[in-house]
Amino acid sequence: MNTQQHLLAILDDVLSLEGRAKDFTVDTALLGAIPELDSMAVVSLITALEEQFGFVVDDDEIDGATFATVGALLDFVNGKLAA
Amino acid sequence: MAAAAPPTPSSTPFFLDDGAGGQRLCVHYPAVLAAAAAPRGQILLLPPFAEEMNKSRRMIALAARAFAAAGVEVLTIDLLGCGDSSGDFGDAAWTRWSDDVRLAVGWLDARALPGTDGAKPPLWLWGLRAGALLAPAAFDLALDRPLHLLLWQPVTAGKLQLQQFMRLRVAADLIGGQAKGAVQAMRDQLARGEPVEIAGYLLAPALAEGLESAQLKPSPRVRRVAWLELSPREDATLTPAATMAVEAWTAQGAEVRAAVCQGPSFWAATEIEEAPRLIEASLAALTADADFATRPVEAVSA
Repeated sequence: MNTQQHLLAILDDVLSLEGRAKDFTVDTALLGAIPELDSMAVVSLITALEEQFGFVVDDDEIDGATFATVGALLDFVNGKLAA
Repeated sequence: MAAAAPPTPSSTPFFLDDGAGGQRLCVHYPAVLAAAAAPRGQILLLPPFAEEMNKSRRMIALAARAFAAAGVEVLTIDLLGCGDSSGDFGDAAWTRWSDDVRLAVGWLDARALPGTDGAKPPLWLWGLRAGALLAPAAFDLALDRPLHLLLWQPVTAGKLQLQQFMRLRVAADLIGGQAKGAVQAMRDQLARGEPVEIAGYLLAPALAEGLESAQLKPSPRVRRVAWLELSPREDATLTPAATMAVEAWTAQGAEVRAAVCQGPSFWAATEIEEAPRLIEASLAALTADADFATRPVEAVSA
């Protein structure tokens, strides 16, 4: 499973999308476009990313743009993994 | 001759009286036992924090019925200020929650019937997420019986749970496009002795402080630890933090069984979700005999 597939699996799990995340591309819009992504879901998502990828997110590192699209979130995860 | 259908586990809600501290809503699931059989043990739920409890209620009820059907007596409790217990969330303090745990343990222990060997069966503490941090409240009680832990995706450092909870405000600000710095503002407010409101929960300084310093560390009082985690992946392995904790408990002398079950993070999911494999793995741990620790780490999947 590559990072993008892993990320989509986490999105599917946290947002209870029942497999719909499989069809997401890097251009798929997230924040504001997916109603399931409310504040509780954003927190669950950050936590799941930390636990599954093994990095720590500082609250200053994230803003709305981080969650704008799948691609933006993937860039963030890849950046954390490379750090 | 057709076998009689097994009796269905029943559940009875009741209020456990805490004197001046009010009442705690509990649900009791008596063990379903064949005639003259001795109960396998008792188990007390240590609930997860804030909204995680609401998301978990269905899984807790499903698991409690399954445990009772397997001969384990179950008690679940809403802590002070939670669910239908007395008080508002803003009244809750970590020390009061620890008192609630001791109150519930006392209720169960007073009901415990001796097994065939004349000794009381084990008492399990069932810690879900941050509930695991409340287990130490029972470690120094004088109970003449083994104490075991069933841990579901346990939080072992309250600091992390508090950080995640405070992030709800960060996330709300982030969605609303507001400026950063919400966490520091909340910390300043708590430090001044004022409560902060997060996602509809009023967090009092006494709860924040207690949670932040709470930790679950290996204790010689605990004989068995069943450490169960969930992952959406079938081939998942224990997180590095869990692996270290399992090693530490083993070094302390506890028998440890650890597993990763495939299933959703139901305490955090958007919808109410079920993780049946987690219940299966829990049942296997609760009903294990001397072979408890012989399958140390395993993946439970389809």
